Amino acid sequence: MSRSYGRYALLRAAQALIVILLAYVGTFLVISVLPGDPITNMLRDPQNGLTDDEIQQVVAHYGLDKPVVIQLILSLGRFVTGDLGFSLQSNLPVSQLLGDALPSTLTLAGTALLLSVVIAVVIAYGVQYLPSRWARGVLRSVPSLFLSVPNFVVGLILIEIFAFRLHVFTTIDPDSAAATLFAALTLAIPVSAPLAEVLIANLDHESRQEYALVARSRGLSQARLFARHLVKPSMLPAVAMIALIVGELLGGAVITETIFGRDGLGTVVQKAVTSQDVPVLQAVVSLAAVVFVTVNLLADLASPLLDPRLDARPRRKAAPERDATPERELEVSA
Amino acid sequence: MTSLTGLVTPTERIRAAGRSAVRVPPTVAAAAVVIVVVLLWSLVPWLFTSYDPTVGDTAEKLTAPSGAHWFGTDHLGRDVFARVVYGTASSVTSALVAVSIGLVVGSIIGLASGFLRGAVDVVLGRVVDVLLAIPSFLLAVVIVSSLGFQTINAAIATGVSAIAIFARLMRAEVLRARGSVFVEASYLQGGNRLHALLGHVLPNTYTSVVALAVLQFGTSILVIASLAFLGYGDPPPASDWGLLVASGKSYATAPWLIYAPALVIVITVLSVNRISTWLRRTQ
Repeated sequence: MSRSYGRYALLRAAQALIVILLAYVGTFLVISVLPGDPITNMLRDPQNGLTDDEIQQVVAHYGLDKPVVIQLILSLGRFVTGDLGFSLQSNLPVSQLLGDALPSTLTLAGTALLLSVVIAVVIAYGVQYLPSRWARGVLRSVPSLFLSVPNFVVGLILIEIFAFRLHVFTTIDPDSAAATLFAALTLAIPVSAPLAEVLIANLDHESRQEYALVARSRGLSQARLFARHLVKPSMLPAVAMIALIVGELLGGAVITETIFGRDGLGTVVQKAVTSQDVPVLQAVVSLAAVVFVTVNLLADLASPLLDPRLDARPRRKAAPERDATPERELEVSA
Repeated sequence: MTSLTGLVTPTERIRAAGRSAVRVPPTVAAAAVVIVVVLLWSLVPWLFTSYDPTVGDTAEKLTAPSGAHWFGTDHLGRDVFARVVYGTASSVTSALVAVSIGLVVGSIIGLASGFLRGAVDVVLGRVVDVLLAIPSFLLAVVIVSSLGFQTINAAIATGVSAIAIFARLMRAEVLRARGSVFVEASYLQGGNRLHALLGHVLPNTYTSVVALAVLQFGTSILVIASLAFLGYGDPPPASDWGLLVASGKSYATAPWLIYAPALVIVITVLSVNRISTWLRRTQ
């Protein structure tokens, strides 16, 4: 019966591919159909000092003298073969620009992801187990506070306190470990809020289950019960959120990298927007869509494997009614 | 006083409404006060400050918050409180524009795909998938860069990036209402599809959609402030909240230029979120 899981996986992968291509088309249309054609504006801008020959070259490359549909097909064809074009600003290949910026953003986003999970777990644990009712109440309102503070304010406050007053890091060296940590914290705070909300709700649910009662009756301390039995089932539903979180991290990187002066994808976006560098913008947005859709796909494919109740394959000791409707279970999760 | 048939008389209904209206938690009441003040700032800013938001006294530049200048003054000696109050209208209006776009377009998409199902659902579902696949802030940035750097365009961009969320919620709500007994009863009584849609399905989606709209109002304020912070909104002397923080960050010796507008943003969004949570829980 693992054939049904295979079919499900294939179907989801095909769906993901379609969404990526449609996202590319959508971005292309937003950039080229809306009023104010950036490429032409940028070509005509005398500041860029392009000769007529160069303008002709660019026009021919993007097919700007042809209808939008032809431009789209040209552009889509290049994207499918992995050709992202050249930056209008620096004339470098877009793939090189993105490749140079990627490591910095990956470090930042990876650290931020880790931090946000830690923050969320600490908040959820505190809300469940802190001895003082008052402290629990205060901690309970932290996620909604995190959701209400703009990213750039968090960054500026951290810089103001830890760089300017306490000199823990300097903004002159944005790639140092300390500066990276604070930049990641800036990015992690708004991301940790929804994660903490989900954890709090699940933890509340799980700790009322009978297995938790049994574990407690065996004499397990609260901390060990939490670490050994409750964290895993409470985290599982959060796996479904991972794609949303990755999207949030990529979007937040634009602001965070600008504030901390890091040279990552976010800064590339910010510069591309300022100089109307269309190929770069198109590439970054498509890349973001590819990442989001892939992560989403992996999360969807992994959840039946992580949570046996959603599994397509019959388990040896699974409850009979689960076995009877594996297909429907999957449809619900999809 | 419940009658035998279990019907509730109008007077009873009013009394019940009165009883539940009294049970407003204090934090929600405080949040409502904040929202009212913010709305008044955007409608009649001149009632709240005697200073001009664009003209300053350079002799008093970069002074710390005091009795005369609650939020201090900026590099041109302008009163920061006045700039925040006068900037409210633009920040609030653009958030309202953004929510309206997301609400109207998203609801139509969700309504159509949930009610018509079939091919319409499949096509619109992919549209929503695509909108969700691009990180919403990145989407907003691309749209505003294509439309041009103005606050109204930032609002439109924010609205478009919120369409998918509304569409998804609306579709789920329509599917839920569609399967219920009262819709079936409406069909049995000879009601047509349009009647069922407008008379029975739509009213039942109301509460959760309104709660989301309120929540999105807060989120929109944050997104628009972020776009303004990056310089994608109206340029100075406009005083959008995000722009105020952005221009304040150049003056390390005057942290109130950051903290004062930031505090206003945080308190406003916190209040909006509190009201949204309360609406969702009391439905």
